[in-house]
Amino acid sequence: MTSASMPAGRRGVERDDLAPAPVERSERRSRSASTAQVRALVLGGYGLNCDAETAHVCRLAGADAQRVHINELIDGKQRLESFHILALIGGFAWADDHGAGVVLATKLRRHLGEALLRFIAAGRYVIGICNGFQALVNLGILPGFEVGRFRREVALTYNDCGNFRDQWVQLRVERTPCVFDPRARQIELPVRHAEGKFVAPPDVLTRLREQRQIVMRYARPTGEAAGGEFPWNPNGAQDDIAGICDPTGRIFGLMPHPEAYNHETNHPDWTRLRWQEDRQSAQEPPGVTLFRQAVSSAQERLLE
Amino acid sequence: MPARLEIALRPELFDAEGASIARKARDYFGYEIDEIRTVRVITMDARLSAGERQRLRADLFTNPVTEESSYQPLDLPADWVIWVGLLPGVKDAAGETAAEAIEDLLGRPLASGEACYTSKLYFVREGGSGLSGAEEERRLTRNDLARVARELLANDLIQRWQVWRVVPSATAREAESEAGIWDPSEGIGYVIPRVTLEHTPRVTEIPVGSDAEMLRVSAERDLFLDPRDVPAIRRYFSRRRVREARRRVGLDRPTDVELEYIAQARSDHCNHNTFRGRFDYVDRASGERLEIDSLFHTFIEEPTLEIARRKPWVISVLWDNAGVGRFDERHFYTITGETHNSPSNMEAYGGSITGIVGVYRDPLGTGKGSKLVLGTYGYCVGPRDYAGALRPRLHPRRLLDGVIEGVRDGGNKSGIPTPFGLVFQDESYLGKCLVYVTAVGIMPSEVAGGRSDRKRTSPGELVVMCGGRVGKDGIHGVTASSHIYSERIPAGHVQIGDPYTQKKMHDFLLVARDRGLIRFITDCGGGGLSSAVGESARFAGGVEVELDRIPLKYDGLDQWEIWISESQERMVVSVAPEQIQAFLALAAEHAVEATVIGRYTDSGYVHLTYEGQTCAYVSLDFFQSDFPQWRFAAEWVPPAARGLAEPVLSEPRDHAACLLAMLARPNIASKEWIARQYDHEVQGGSVVKPLAGARRDVPSDAAVVRPVLESTRGLAITQTLHPTYSRIDAYHMTAVTIDEAVRRLIAVGADPEHIGGVDNFCWPEITYHPERNPDGKLKAAQLVRSCLAMKRSCLAMGIPLLSGKDSMYIDGALAGAFGEQHRVSGLPTLQFTAISVVTDVTRCVTLDPKVAGHLLYILGVTRDELGGSEYYEMLGETGLHVPQADPRQLLPMYRALAAASEEGHVASAHAIGRGGLGVHLALLAMAGDLGLEVELWRAPCAAPPASRATATEAAGLREDRLLYAESAGRLLVTVPTERSSAFEARLTGHPLAALGVVCRDPRLVVRGRRGAPLLDLPISALRDAWQQRYGELI
Repeated sequence: MTSASMPAGRRGVERDDLAPAPVERSERRSRSASTAQVRALVLGGYGLNCDAETAHVCRLAGADAQRVHINELIDGKQRLESFHILALIGGFAWADDHGAGVVLATKLRRHLGEALLRFIAAGRYVIGICNGFQALVNLGILPGFEVGRFRREVALTYNDCGNFRDQWVQLRVERTPCVFDPRARQIELPVRHAEGKFVAPPDVLTRLREQRQIVMRYARPTGEAAGGEFPWNPNGAQDDIAGICDPTGRIFGLMPHPEAYNHETNHPDWTRLRWQEDRQSAQEPPGVTLFRQAVSSAQERLLE
Repeated sequence: MPARLEIALRPELFDAEGASIARKARDYFGYEIDEIRTVRVITMDARLSAGERQRLRADLFTNPVTEESSYQPLDLPADWVIWVGLLPGVKDAAGETAAEAIEDLLGRPLASGEACYTSKLYFVREGGSGLSGAEEERRLTRNDLARVARELLANDLIQRWQVWRVVPSATAREAESEAGIWDPSEGIGYVIPRVTLEHTPRVTEIPVGSDAEMLRVSAERDLFLDPRDVPAIRRYFSRRRVREARRRVGLDRPTDVELEYIAQARSDHCNHNTFRGRFDYVDRASGERLEIDSLFHTFIEEPTLEIARRKPWVISVLWDNAGVGRFDERHFYTITGETHNSPSNMEAYGGSITGIVGVYRDPLGTGKGSKLVLGTYGYCVGPRDYAGALRPRLHPRRLLDGVIEGVRDGGNKSGIPTPFGLVFQDESYLGKCLVYVTAVGIMPSEVAGGRSDRKRTSPGELVVMCGGRVGKDGIHGVTASSHIYSERIPAGHVQIGDPYTQKKMHDFLLVARDRGLIRFITDCGGGGLSSAVGESARFAGGVEVELDRIPLKYDGLDQWEIWISESQERMVVSVAPEQIQAFLALAAEHAVEATVIGRYTDSGYVHLTYEGQTCAYVSLDFFQSDFPQWRFAAEWVPPAARGLAEPVLSEPRDHAACLLAMLARPNIASKEWIARQYDHEVQGGSVVKPLAGARRDVPSDAAVVRPVLESTRGLAITQTLHPTYSRIDAYHMTAVTIDEAVRRLIAVGADPEHIGGVDNFCWPEITYHPERNPDGKLKAAQLVRSCLAMKRSCLAMGIPLLSGKDSMYIDGALAGAFGEQHRVSGLPTLQFTAISVVTDVTRCVTLDPKVAGHLLYILGVTRDELGGSEYYEMLGETGLHVPQADPRQLLPMYRALAAASEEGHVASAHAIGRGGLGVHLALLAMAGDLGLEVELWRAPCAAPPASRATATEAAGLREDRLLYAESAGRLLVTVPTERSSAFEARLTGHPLAALGVVCRDPRLVVRGRRGAPLLDLPISALRDAWQQRYGELI
């Protein structure tokens, strides 16, 4: 760890080539056009646990969010195709006893595999956060090199630090087609996991880089990649990878928790920033922006 | 033929778990180990085809990117192999999820009796292995590996282990004569820890001809019946009307089911006999006498009801599983605190995970059920580096590791944030550790058209048991915990909580609640069904339970075992018959087992049957009947009369070295490694985190969360304990503990008009015995004094005790160096939890100074109060002048500070606690990563009330005393210069002084009266000292 102290401003640096997030537009839509509202499914049950805050952040982002138990989908009480965004959330599905996200992935593949493939083929969006990311890679939906097939090519395994760890990380946001876009080059989010170390064979890593599928990397406060160094890279992930998308950018998985940065007071430094910054400049938390961008995009591509 | 799948990380991947064990083996025992590779083992005791096995291996249990696996033994390079597996009957949660996953993947259920079992293999490569000649002498022995197994990997109460030596070739192997040589073709063999009880359940009648006979039965059956209760129990069963009523249901003499039930209900754990007892208190110095009829009624119930009358936010107290307060117009919060000391002392991980998962059932079982929104912890253990002669069952280092991990898994896997905690080390806890766990929930104030806090059972409603199944685990938990620890205590009650099963049940029950399907709900905790069903039956006026309908983990349990087993993760719900189908269907959708086990009645009896035969028939009135009240003699000898005195110490010459040494003390040093293992962000409402400041590493005064995400209202929660003050006087220990809890809440911006308390007493045994407990009367007097102080503080500050718990036997019998036994009694310890509502979380305040140039103030008076302080302890002293707190004087000051904070004058605020001003200035400097220039002599000071110091001495308190006195009622506050006059105006009339200034130069400079710096230290030096002790731990 360097001795340099952390800089103060870390609410998210605006990306200079992008306009500010179209906040007003989505809010208007979420209020008015109920018939044409983007619908988000937040999948819960079996020890998953971030359902309430993920649904909350989807609503803040303008979506009509619904918490659905896995068995409601399996039993046909709810249908995947009536939603535009599927959120696989954080938690400990089946207690993570046999590898994080492993049993969840097996369950989804066996009972909902066809429906998931159709959902993806229809151009709908999927986000997997933490346990949900682990499930996506174990399902083989990510990295998604082969369209229409499940294939496990990468893994999220035990942190090098040897323990569950809760800390906020700096994330460098790369230029990718990912629709879940925080509209900033660098953001901060919390990680909370024991198995978040991204591992892939060299050829897979190369392909991920070449196809611009690496969406977020763990970084130092200064913005450069963490270079594997703890605690900036909290788990030993290869190439500091914190999140990847599929080649289309519609499927996104990440270890950090955007839904846990849904309010300015979530940030670890918010009481400091209040005294150090002009309070007028308060921005939307990047956890919300990331979802808002996906909802806007879904609105355009899937509803209009 | 069972199948055994072994799964390892690919060799090129770093094995963090193995590395951590190797590091501990080196640090703790000095063993040089190059590498340990861990292998997960799943033994499938099920009929599976070869094709099915391969599918399970490839599609389920092996990650193709990171793992390799085989049904043949994996033969990894090693010098030694260790295997650790669970004993039969111990909860194997991973085995259960493996079976669940297999059933799902294969699309068929496993047959009855088929199951999966998980265990672990460790392949150990020694340091310098492969070298020959003189290096040979450095090799580890089988005993060394056994020590690694016994002291790092396994606990023989719940696990078994085996060690093999690896010999290079088959020929060399044959030449070996010793047992335990690794055979790579055999591996570990097939170990199936299946429970098979060759036992037909049977109800036994108990002869109770005389008190002596009954006591003999009690001893034989580990009932721990109190001899004072025996005549009352016998009287009941010999009453003519009772005998006639029993005859009508086919019973004669009491059955084992009934006596076990009674023993549970009468245990101190369930019935709080000590707190409901009669105390004859005498102050040996003044001659003052007090007669107290029930500590509970006098010191807890009375003041709480009085305060509840004037605080409309108090919704429900003193009867339900947790207390209920109002959060906002549409929500209530629920809170309770528990301890899980005895089980954690024997099996740290299992005990603490069972404790935290267990306490989470309390808010879930409060009112019609609340959602869990946070948990907190408090651990009191022996010194982590203890090297003395006493032999606790688990070394404190291992015990603390296990307790931390148990609460970690219990909280994280439940999806409940753990944003606050305490750890305290003292040799007195070698006898028994303390594990405090506190839980907070939230519920809508109305559910299905009725008040959520109200519930009752009614005749005709169905008794439904939800969640886990019943096994032999946890039998006699409550009776054993109502006793001191010794090797004789049966280990059958060691359990391992299962957050996964409970999380499913939690989610299901909240949906059921919102659909109006729950009439009454309570948890199965201590005493199991006997307690949950027995207590819920009081509302309806009776209950009938068919014990044979209760789902079991395995056959062969006796009826009494089914009734009192404390198998975890269970709730009892009352459901109207017309809603039972909807309730059970919803349970099935959530993959939760729910079973109708009986029906509430108005018969006046708890009536249990098994296959149609009555096996228990106990009147509900029985437990209200004429049991004798426990009596305690309490004799207070004031500390001076006990020979305590102030030490004769001069001022240290090297103040800088002294402060650095204080910062490195175990009870001061950074424990970031613990807080970071706990998810404190889940549920998305984190506002004030456990660690704050520029580097996010200094503990916060309190945690604040937004439990309702749509709202900016928050809940603030904090905890305190000061057991070392009990060495002098538990009265002041209590007053200061409560004061500090309130102060911490005020510091973060809580509302002083809304503070609820949870009292968790952990006390050594107070019954006097000339040989076994010669100071029992003093311990009893300490308890009375503690309760007196608590009542005074609560009344003065308007704190209702929303919940609480007493754990009365924190003693242990430990072997010493020569085979002698020592009785070790824990310090009388009160953990006080305070909770408050924050009306607008965007006004919350953290402890870190924010900006250079802000003024640093101290609020409150520093007195010559170093008795029981960290400073005296470091210098090997106890002292006499224990810190005191006068809540009537302090509350107005806290109100003024809260108002100043509300108006936005306060940039940071921090309660000064253990370690005094010196330590807390250092914490502040580290938190802000900004320098502090401090004029120490400006701090308001005074002599302690009890001291004979003259006025001049008081005015000029010696500088080391100013730095390290632990006087209550003090805070450090930073304020922007432009707001200082408004701030000062708000605090007019209260002891306040501008102590210094926040500055850019990152140094802590403290000037004394003579103007020269007493100490001048860079913040990096402070941080190094504070982090060095535990900085390597993750």
